[in-house]
Amino acid sequence: MQKRVIFRSRSLPYLLVLPQIAVTLVFFFWPSYQALESSFFIEDAFGFSREWVGLRNYRDLFADPGYLRSFRTTLVFGLSVTALALGTSLGLAVAANRVLRAAQSYRTLLIWPYAVAPALAGVIWYFLMNPSMGIVAYWLKGLGVEWNHYVNGNQALILVVVAAAWKQISYNFLFFLAGLQSIPKSLIEAAAIDRAGPIRRFWTITMPLLSPTTFFLLVVNLVYAFFDTFALIHATTNGGPADATSVLVFRVYNTGFIGQDYGSSAAQSVVLMALVIGMTFIQFRYVERKVTY
Amino acid sequence: MATLHLNALGKTYPGGVTAASEVSVEISDGEFVVLVGPSGCGKSTILRMIAGLETITEGELSIDGARVNDREPGERDIAMVFQNYALYPHMSVRKNMEYGLKNEGLPKAQIAARIAEAARTLRLEEYLDRKPRQLSGGQRQRVAMGRAIVRQPKVFLFDEPLSNLDAKLRTQLRAELKALHRRLGATFVYVTHDQVEAMSLADRIVIMNAGRVEQIGTPMDLYLRPASRFVAEFIGSPSMNMLEGRIGADRASVTFGQASALSLGFDLPGPAGHPIALGVRPEHLHLAPGGAGGIDLAVQFIEQLGADTVVHGAVPGAAGPLAVRLAGVQRYEAGAVLSLACSAENLHLFDAETGVRLAADAV
Ligand SMILES: Nc1ncnc2c1ncn2[C@@H]1O[C@H](COP(=O)(O)OP(=O)(O)OP(=O)(O)O)[C@@H](O)[C@H]1O
Ligand SMILES: [Mg+2]
Repeated sequence: MQKRVIFRSRSLPYLLVLPQIAVTLVFFFWPSYQALESSFFIEDAFGFSREWVGLRNYRDLFADPGYLRSFRTTLVFGLSVTALALGTSLGLAVAANRVLRAAQSYRTLLIWPYAVAPALAGVIWYFLMNPSMGIVAYWLKGLGVEWNHYVNGNQALILVVVAAAWKQISYNFLFFLAGLQSIPKSLIEAAAIDRAGPIRRFWTITMPLLSPTTFFLLVVNLVYAFFDTFALIHATTNGGPADATSVLVFRVYNTGFIGQDYGSSAAQSVVLMALVIGMTFIQFRYVERKVTY
Repeated sequence: MATLHLNALGKTYPGGVTAASEVSVEISDGEFVVLVGPSGCGKSTILRMIAGLETITEGELSIDGARVNDREPGERDIAMVFQNYALYPHMSVRKNMEYGLKNEGLPKAQIAARIAEAARTLRLEEYLDRKPRQLSGGQRQRVAMGRAIVRQPKVFLFDEPLSNLDAKLRTQLRAELKALHRRLGATFVYVTHDQVEAMSLADRIVIMNAGRVEQIGTPMDLYLRPASRFVAEFIGSPSMNMLEGRIGADRASVTFGQASALSLGFDLPGPAGHPIALGVRPEHLHLAPGGAGGIDLAVQFIEQLGADTVVHGAVPGAAGPLAVRLAGVQRYEAGAVLSLACSAENLHLFDAETGVRLAADAV
């Protein structure tokens, strides 16, 4: 079947994509260009003057142990959030898929967290885990865990990881459930007749057939964890204690707006942008090769 | 190679639907048994209970004398071919066939040997490294068959395996299936709603209606001595003619409406005036020599099939249509009246109320 539309007029197609192009230019390319440009200058704090410094901002950045630590923090944070969010939602989806009839109400309940604004999600967990009044902190104390994310950097990181993952679980759940439901039941039955137990069936039939969904979610979650968790961290730990939760996006803000070092902030933004582009590229390369069957 | 005993099997789904009840069949070693019946009569349910994919809510199932009601599908030593084939889409043909054998923990060399053997008999050698989506419907069907064969199970189960294929391929695969059965000598249980498939494949047919067994017998049993009106009308194409009437006053004839009566020449069981259905297959009617026969047929339209001609019409006086199958090419105009006869042994009488066959011994 012919899928492509043939336009008679030459200008119509351009006219149709014009709004999209305009939006992209104004809201993406222009600020990106500005960031790229600023990253080659050092600006005074009031923006009265700036000086061309070439790649110095970048050199300084990669010589700064704090920035390199942020890289590590981001990596740990991003991978933990993704693993936690994907693992939990997959478990929930598998459970929901077993009791199909209840799935409808279950699904509605689980979508709620996704509607919560990131900052609010952070605040909810902030209160739940507050060392002096949080219920979770209280339970943890009961289990013999002394919880204080104000002083303990690792605990602070755990807090933001849990909060960030929690927010993403509902979204992942919906996709996983839809993916699971699209696997024909007869395949699982055929595998059962072929003497595969439930666990083996899961790893050899369900997971491979779910791989397009999993991969899509993996990318979405990584991008979310790496680039979309500023508000959450800002509202809970504010990057602390002692930079322990200062991921790259948070650092961009901190350097720029608190430290007023626009040049360095811009350079960091450019590095982030490069990361996004890199990840997108890997995604498309990988999707085409491996995941489709 | 195994015997399979279904002892008063019943299935009530959680929602309260009773899909099968009191199904008892004894299947002997190496037999080819076909379950046939209209859509929704519970054929798949029974097959899935045998496979272990549905729990058995009543009765007992045994394979080789051992009760298997509570065994997992993988522990019953059966293989099943699904209607949609259920090939694992992410595995090559070879991997599809290997899967069950690997789960059994068979040595590599033995797996390879079995697959080579199956691929040869099913002519799948050149497709072994393809994915299922790169195969045609008929090839997929054969892969599904191969996946069952390599397992060397006690019992093969088939759920309408040919129904997604076109008519020609279906006929071809039917023959291959029959040959396969003969070569393997294994026990086959086959589900279909197509009576032609059932007739041509089965050693014995189990014909089902609304969750119950109507009759069990060889294809010829069912064709020649249907135990009920349902069986009579289900087996055979075009299906058996049914003329509704009553037992005549002399109890040796059937009356239709006011005027016409058909003298049978033998006594009928039951009182005069009892409603009955008189069945006769289209192919068992023939033109009465000399034009003086038992039944007059007013021709409405004809179907030319080449080898024979099916004449459709109505019997004046009797309610309902009648079809006759005549050999060769015949031409009749609508409105023509044919005089038909039929030998007494080809008449089937059923109680019009219960549908049960009457006078089995008299006929
Ligand atoms: N999982 C189920 N839950 C409830 N009722 C079911 C279920 N599966 C089947 N049924 C019902 O049981 C009856 C028998 O179904 P079954 O699938 O055995 O029919 P079938 O003879 O195989 O029909 P077909 O020729 O259309 O495949 C039907 O009335 C069907 O609606
Ligand atoms: Mg069925």
